[in-house]
Amino acid sequence: MMKRLNWKQWTAIAALVLVLLVTGLFAVRTFRRAIYWRMHRDEVIRPWMSLPYVAHSYRVPPQVLYEALNIEHPPRDRRPIRQIAKEHNRPVDEVIGTLNEAIARSRQHPANGPPSPEKSP
Amino acid sequence: MSLTDQLLAAISIYGLPALFAVIAIAAVGIPLPVTLALVAAGSFVELGEMRLWQVIIVGSSAAILGDQIGFVIGRWGGSRIETRLRKRKGGADKIARAHAFAARWGGTGIFLSRWLVTPLGPWLNLTSGMTDYPWRRFFVWDVLGETLWVVIYVLLGKFFSRSVQALVDVLGSLVWVLVGILVAAILFWWILKSLGNSPGKALRRRPA
Repeated sequence: MMKRLNWKQWTAIAALVLVLLVTGLFAVRTFRRAIYWRMHRDEVIRPWMSLPYVAHSYRVPPQVLYEALNIEHPPRDRRPIRQIAKEHNRPVDEVIGTLNEAIARSRQHPANGPPSPEKSP
Repeated sequence: MSLTDQLLAAISIYGLPALFAVIAIAAVGIPLPVTLALVAAGSFVELGEMRLWQVIIVGSSAAILGDQIGFVIGRWGGSRIETRLRKRKGGADKIARAHAFAARWGGTGIFLSRWLVTPLGPWLNLTSGMTDYPWRRFFVWDVLGETLWVVIYVLLGKFFSRSVQALVDVLGSLVWVLVGILVAAILFWWILKSLGNSPGKALRRRPA
């Protein structure tokens, strides 16, 4: 037999349904992102990333990226891409585009560059 | 340029002091992308730009400092709210129940909100302060939980150092799934309990 529910209980049930719906949406999103990650190992290049990080993530020699941008390769370079772009008066998106092209080229002709100093995972 | 990009760029350039500032501010309750900051720090460790033990010490002490600030704000604001609530009818009863709840569940809540259901962390700092949760116990649970949090996320960043952003996208929504499950479980438990003894409850609530 159903008991008569008071307004607090109705509110709690409505809140429960809402929370379950939102949680379900987030669960689906988590799952899709995990799948996407498995399918595409590459990171999208973001302005916060440094060139050594991009080289590490894409498994290309850092030199390839510095050469593509036509800049020097200082030791221990921590500058994010956005700072490099600012220093050379270029839009961030353009720098990222150049890097993507250089990575694609380096992967097509890996013999052109020196062998990657990166260790494999 | 997004805030996330600016913060991560600052951590990349200025290193540990920037990491400390970002984590401490976020622990007080300002929403900053700390998960990404810690995971990125883990990848900087892998690249040899930061040292693991330094990141762990700086990260956890920043979080612990931020939590203490939240706790102090809660205690300070709580005593003001409490004096006002006490004057109301049934207010003292509500306060006593809140304190009893914190004494019973506080430790578990503080510990889990440090590393598992992290979006609840700043709220628990405030409520722990408000409900006079013993500061020493708060501190011990806080140190244990925050250190665990920093170690987990930095090591994840170190091991998945090639895909920091992708990892954080997955973790970011996974944490909200956990929060949702927790809130749903609490609501479900409350509904069951209130269905069990709904007729008498309304009467018992009235102060004698």
